[in-house]
Amino acid sequence: MLLDYDRLGWLKVALLGFTTLVAAFLLLPMVFIVLLSFGSSRWLAFPPPGWTLKWYEDLFADPSWIEAALTSARIATMTAILAVAIGLLASFGLVRGDFRGREILRGLLLTPMVLPVVVFAIAVYAFFLRLGLGGTTAGFVLAHTVLALPFAIIPIATALEGFDKSIEDAAIVCGASPLQAKLRITLPSIRIGIFSAAIFSFLASWDEVVVAIFMASPTLQTLPVKIWGSLRSDLTPVIAAASSLLVALTLALMIVTALLRRKLQT
Amino acid sequence: MPVQAQQGIASPRTSAGLGGLAPALILIGLFFVVPVLALLLRSVTDPVAGLQNYAALLGDGTYARVFFNTFLVAFVVTIVTVLVAFPVAWMLAIMPPALASLLFSIIILSMWTNLLTRTYAWMVLLQRTGVINRALMSVGIIDQPLPLINNLTGVTIGMVYIMLPFMILPLVGTLRAIDPMTLRAAALCGASPFAAFRRILLPLSLPGIAAGGLMVFVMSLGYFVTPALLGGTSNMMLAEMIAQMIQSLLNWGLGSAAAFILLVVTMALYALQLRLVGNSRATGAA
Repeated sequence: MLLDYDRLGWLKVALLGFTTLVAAFLLLPMVFIVLLSFGSSRWLAFPPPGWTLKWYEDLFADPSWIEAALTSARIATMTAILAVAIGLLASFGLVRGDFRGREILRGLLLTPMVLPVVVFAIAVYAFFLRLGLGGTTAGFVLAHTVLALPFAIIPIATALEGFDKSIEDAAIVCGASPLQAKLRITLPSIRIGIFSAAIFSFLASWDEVVVAIFMASPTLQTLPVKIWGSLRSDLTPVIAAASSLLVALTLALMIVTALLRRKLQT
Repeated sequence: MPVQAQQGIASPRTSAGLGGLAPALILIGLFFVVPVLALLLRSVTDPVAGLQNYAALLGDGTYARVFFNTFLVAFVVTIVTVLVAFPVAWMLAIMPPALASLLFSIIILSMWTNLLTRTYAWMVLLQRTGVINRALMSVGIIDQPLPLINNLTGVTIGMVYIMLPFMILPLVGTLRAIDPMTLRAAALCGASPFAAFRRILLPLSLPGIAAGGLMVFVMSLGYFVTPALLGGTSNMMLAEMIAQMIQSLLNWGLGSAAAFILLVVTMALYALQLRLVGNSRATGAA
């Protein structure tokens, strides 16, 4: 009866209790950071002696935070567009292609996801220094697109595998060109996969720390680089304010994803 | 001739597949394979040609300590993550849908929240005057603050936190694929819950545990951010050491050699993980 929720007996109480604890553990950092960002203590005393919006005011008064956030948004958007476009084309090749070495190519394209980021970071750092791409937006976007590509390919290829190709063929039989059939039949059918790919590759760039630390220059830094720099000097509550906004952004992204999925599925 | 004509129709599809792969292959080839190979080359040519960088890394006690720390942390993190994740995945697999989707949302929120945000929270929570030490002291469990940060304890707590979703989510899939009837049959035949767990549930979920555990282990080996922020200077991990060799010491030869060792270990374990997943899929289908 171990896989029957209603007949677990005392085990259910124990397991549910444990699961609740783990859920609290998972939520703890986010809840804590949001509370802390409104606390008045410069030294992060908790519970806070009073409540304030000072850290948010400090955050918005400092143009370097705003600039870093805008830089991140710009780089992540370009990365997502590039990764989805390249990943979409590649997925068709991987799913539909009929050539030798397909599995090897798939493995190669997914390798950036498993190789420790620090190895890729120093490799691409050295390479871009030589090419003169170090510290440039183009360098950031290219390096992030490499890291984001697996996150774009996996959902799109999965969606494409689940799509019945005979529907596309039927459109061609009815007189559509192969390109028309792909654009008007296949792409709308795998839109959930494409949408997930866009979200995941955006996040892969937006949250990326290690490559960014190496790639950043005094004039071009992303939000994670800015947070990293502040964390290494002191634990100012301004970081808590910035972090709370990032938590809010994650929540917003989750809600939008859930709503869009529901809408796209119907 | 008809045969040839047919081939004429079939071959564009094949080459179209290859054509679609071209941008991805150019991107990965030029900005991933070439830089990594250049790094590998540098490890045997910088400052002079030879294997002296590898000899230095493998022959020195300081570096041996870093390798040992890295494997120790990855191992402990994996064990703790598996132990914590299993009961949660078990509940998630059989819980009523409303409760399960609430729990899934919490897991996704934790997973999608910025890595530095989560690590920052743990830095504040775990510090000497942090909430956790204060709470433990006010309850009277301890009367001196515990050293929870700048050591391997801090790294382990932070890493387990980050790895949990990566273990829970695939395990739910494994557990959901188990037919509840096998356990009902065991109960009917008189097996105690413990015997049913040990002889049916656990063995059936073992492929999922092994695959997920290996993935967590591999990810932990090369992790940079959390160990760098929650760990101390006296017990550095491999990824941090590599970054430091390049960024602060500018010792490219030694840094690339260390990076290459990390690459080889990671890829070997990853290949093992792929085989495990492949096997579990095969047995699942059988």
